[in-house]
This record gives sequence, structure tokens and C-alpha cells, in this order.
Amino acid sequence: MPRIAVRGAGKRYGELQVFRGLDLSVGQREIVALVGPSGCGKTTFLRCLDGLIPMSEGEIVVDGKPINGPLPRTAMVFQHFGLLPWKTVRGNVAYGLDLAGASKAEIRERVPHFIQLVGLAGFEDAYPYQLSGGMQQRCGLARALAVEPDLLLMDEPFASVDAQTREILQFELLRIWRMRPTSMIFVTHSIEEAVLMGDRVIVLKGRPSGVAEIVEVDLPRPRTRATLASPRFAQLREHVWNILMDEARRAEFELER
Amino acid sequence: MSPARAVLVKIAGGLSILALWEMVARGFAAAYVARPSGILRVLPQTLGSEAVLRGTAITLWGVTQGLIIAVILGTAVGLLMGSLKLVERLLGLYVNGLYAMPMIAILPLLTIWFGYTSKTRLATVVFASFFPIAMNVADGARSVPAEYLEVARSCRARPHHLWFGVTLPSSLPYLLAGVRLAVGRALVGAVVAEFFVSVDGLGFYVLFQSRTFHHNQAFVAVLLLGAFALAIDALIAWLTGRYLRWHRPGEDRR
Ligand SMILES: Nc1ncnc2c1ncn2[C@@H]1O[C@H](COP(=O)(O)OP(=O)(O)OP(=O)(O)O)[C@@H](O)[C@H]1O
Ligand SMILES: [Mg+2]
Repeated sequence: MPRIAVRGAGKRYGELQVFRGLDLSVGQREIVALVGPSGCGKTTFLRCLDGLIPMSEGEIVVDGKPINGPLPRTAMVFQHFGLLPWKTVRGNVAYGLDLAGASKAEIRERVPHFIQLVGLAGFEDAYPYQLSGGMQQRCGLARALAVEPDLLLMDEPFASVDAQTREILQFELLRIWRMRPTSMIFVTHSIEEAVLMGDRVIVLKGRPSGVAEIVEVDLPRPRTRATLASPRFAQLREHVWNILMDEARRAEFELER
Repeated sequence: MSPARAVLVKIAGGLSILALWEMVARGFAAAYVARPSGILRVLPQTLGSEAVLRGTAITLWGVTQGLIIAVILGTAVGLLMGSLKLVERLLGLYVNGLYAMPMIAILPLLTIWFGYTSKTRLATVVFASFFPIAMNVADGARSVPAEYLEVARSCRARPHHLWFGVTLPSSLPYLLAGVRLAVGRALVGAVVAEFFVSVDGLGFYVLFQSRTFHHNQAFVAVLLLGAFALAIDALIAWLTGRYLRWHRPGEDRR
């Protein structure tokens, strides 16, 4: 049974229907990748799941029971990093724990561990402005991981770093995930990233957007750089690309007319 | 320019102003008009005099008390105005209007409420410094980036976490800017109140010495007031360096 299921989700901003009739499930220890064109409502959907904004229609079911209110034990990694500039790396990583009511001793013990885990050891006392984009993103990741969530919502976490750093971070995240596998919804623009990370890739498109197709990614784990070179990876990438491009080509055609 | 040279240039600038003053005072003014040599002559004795010491203590303590009250009230009102639309609508017009209003106009009213006592000075100082602080903090609270609030909500923040954990620290640079404005206004308020209600203090000392033609002594007290303003400015600069290291002025606050 899927751990978390979303049925018939829809979100409207006044006249604008962002998405509609969205069904999606995430199993225990499953990574679901969500791809779709810019503006199709990926961030909006994660915000709904995190309880930051209400859904207009649909329901969320956790372990078989519909819930109202925000999902329990959920942490989100933001597209915009979301670091508090007046807090150091240590303070930012501790923030989620602190608000979750963790004791001082617990915070002292766990924070260094997660700073280490994301490779920010030595930067504990740095302020966000002193960090590179990639380091800021890791700091946001450490904050989310530190509360040991059952569901991780990742909003294009690696979108604003260079290609090499991005690749490093992808494999780092997979490594961290293997140590403590949680359910994860991983939003991305990048088709390659979606296929590399996901057990399934859910392709959103249309206006309002909905699920165009769910692609099972039958690549073995652990996934490594070798995975990127495998023929099956290329096949899956092409497949997802075709689903997405279908619409883009149509848009192009309409532009030219 | 090397730092040492920069200091020398500053000193040279100050000395030429003093020299010009001395020459003009000697050439054209009556003997009782303050001049650098005269001020220097009376300086040690005036600074040590009981009247000046007492006046300084009284005025500065009054200003400090008033500033503390204004910072607490102004921060509270500013946060409320900046984060609750209703409070903004209720108070916005009045806070902005009263900020621009010359406080001297309200002094006669304050004397009726508080009498010809030091309470009037305290009220004037609070009145003068409350508005710039409240206005600045309200600006700061209004411009808290939505991302910070979103992160806090995602971590299941309760209202007090949002207020004291996000809105207040994010508004700190605005608060300090407000305090800087407020210090000048508070000093003016205290001195004017002392002139007006004749309560003891540095301002009253200046008034009394001027009327009895001790202009050099009066000027020493003026210098003391200036020194206090500079000291508070230095304190704020220190606080900024200590607690606002994270703040990059002029940069996108992200
Ligand atoms: N608060 C809001 N009020 C009104 N419209 C909004 C709001 N937030 C988002 N939208 C609209 O909803 C749509 C989806 O936005 P969203 O940020 O979810 O897209 P996205 O898929 O995350 O895009 P990207 O890949 O560029 O991050 C956009 O058309 C946007 O204009
Ligand atoms: Mg987005």
C-alpha cells in the first residue's frame, strides 16, 4: 500500500487553474521524481503537500487515513534555499530541530552530524552570504534532513548550481538517502536528474496541468555515474523527453502560425 | 590616502575652522561671545563643576530612559503595524503624521499633563524618539521576505516563532536605523523641554549661562551634548558590527 496518496488534487489561484485531477502516490522508501515545464505548478503542488497553502480540491491520504492539515513529519528543501541570513550554518541547520521542540542536548549532538553529512564541516560559523550557492543549498538540505523526516519534499534543489556541483550533489543525496531511506518527492526541470533519482518519474503537462504519464524507472540501485552511461538510462531519458517535447513542439508550432 | 594622513587632514580642517572662529570673535564680537581660546580656558573648571556634572547626569539619564521606553514601545507598535494589516490601517496615518509634526508644538500640552517637572522632559524625549523607531520597524516588518516566513511555516512555526524568530531579526537593521534618527531627536527634545519648563539639566545650564553672559561655559555644555550624540552613534556602530554582521546593506536580502 502506498504510504502517501494524493487523490484528485487541484489548485486554483482565482481564475488561474494551476493543476487539476492530480493523482500521485509515494511508497515507503520511494523516490518519486516530478518533472514538468516551468510554471506547471510543481512548486505549488509541493507547497500544498507541505501545508503551506490549501489545496482547492482533492484529498491526501496517509497510511490509509485521509488527513486534514499539514502532513506530519515532512520537511521541504526550497528552490530559493530559504536560509535565514542572521543565522550561521549551525543556526540554520538547528532551526527545524529547534522548532520541532528538540532539546538543547539533542541539537548539540545532531547538528554537527548533519553538517558533516552534507560536507559543510568547517563552515559552522559562516553566515549564508559567505557561502556559495551550492553550499547554501547543502545547508538547506541539512536543515531538512536533521529533523529526520518521513517525507522529503525537494523543490529543484540543485537548479542553481553549476553542472559539476550538481552531479556531485546528486550522488551525495543518493548516498545519504541509502543511509536512511525516506519517501521523497523530487521536483526537477532536468529530465536526466529525474530519471537518475526517481523510482518513478511523473510527468506533468497541460494547462491546467495534470499527470501525462508515469514512467517506471527500472534502473538498479545504487545508482552511480555508470548509470548515466547505461543504454537503459538513455532509453528512459528519451522516453520522458518525448512526452514533454510533444507539447513544446505544439507550442512552437502555434507561435509560428 | 593612508589612515594617518586622513586623520591629519581631518585635524587640519578642524583647526582652520577654530582659527577662523577665533579671528572673527576677536575682531568683531563682544568680549562675552564664546571663542575657542575662551572655551579652552574655562574647560577644566567647567567640566569639574558640580552644576555641569549634575546637569550632564540628569539630562543623559533622562534621554537614556526615554530612548529605552521609545525602543520598546516603538518596536512593539512597529512590529504590529508591519505584520497586521488592521493595525497598519488603524495607526499608520497617525504614526506617519506625528513623525513629521514638530514636537515643540506639543510641549505646552505635555507641561499641562506632566507639570513643570522632569516628567515633561521624559515625555518629550519619548514622544520625539518613538515615531522614527515605530515607523522604521514597521517598514522592516513589512518587507520581511516571504521566503523566510515560508521556511518558518514549513518548520511548523507558531506565531511567536514568526514574530520573534523571523520578523524581529529581519527588521533589526531597520530598528537600528530608527534608533539613530531617534537619538538626535531625543537630545533636541530633552534640551528644548529643559528650556521650556526650566528643569535642571544640561539644556537648562546652557540657558542659564547664556543669560548670565557666560557663553564659554554654555558652549562647554553644548560640546558635551555633541559628545553624547557621537558616543551613542559609536555604540550603534559597535552593535551593528557585533550583531548585524549578517546584514549586507544594499544587497538583496536573501
Ligand atoms: N501566490 C500565487 N498567486 C497567484 N498565482 C500564483 C501564485 N504562486 C504561483 N502562481 C502561479 O501558479 C503557476 C505555477 O507556479 P509554480 O511556481 O508552482 O510553477 P513551477 O512549476 O514550480 O515553475 P518553475 O519550474 O519555474 O519553478 C504559475 O503560473 C504562477 O504564476
Ligand atoms: Mg518551482
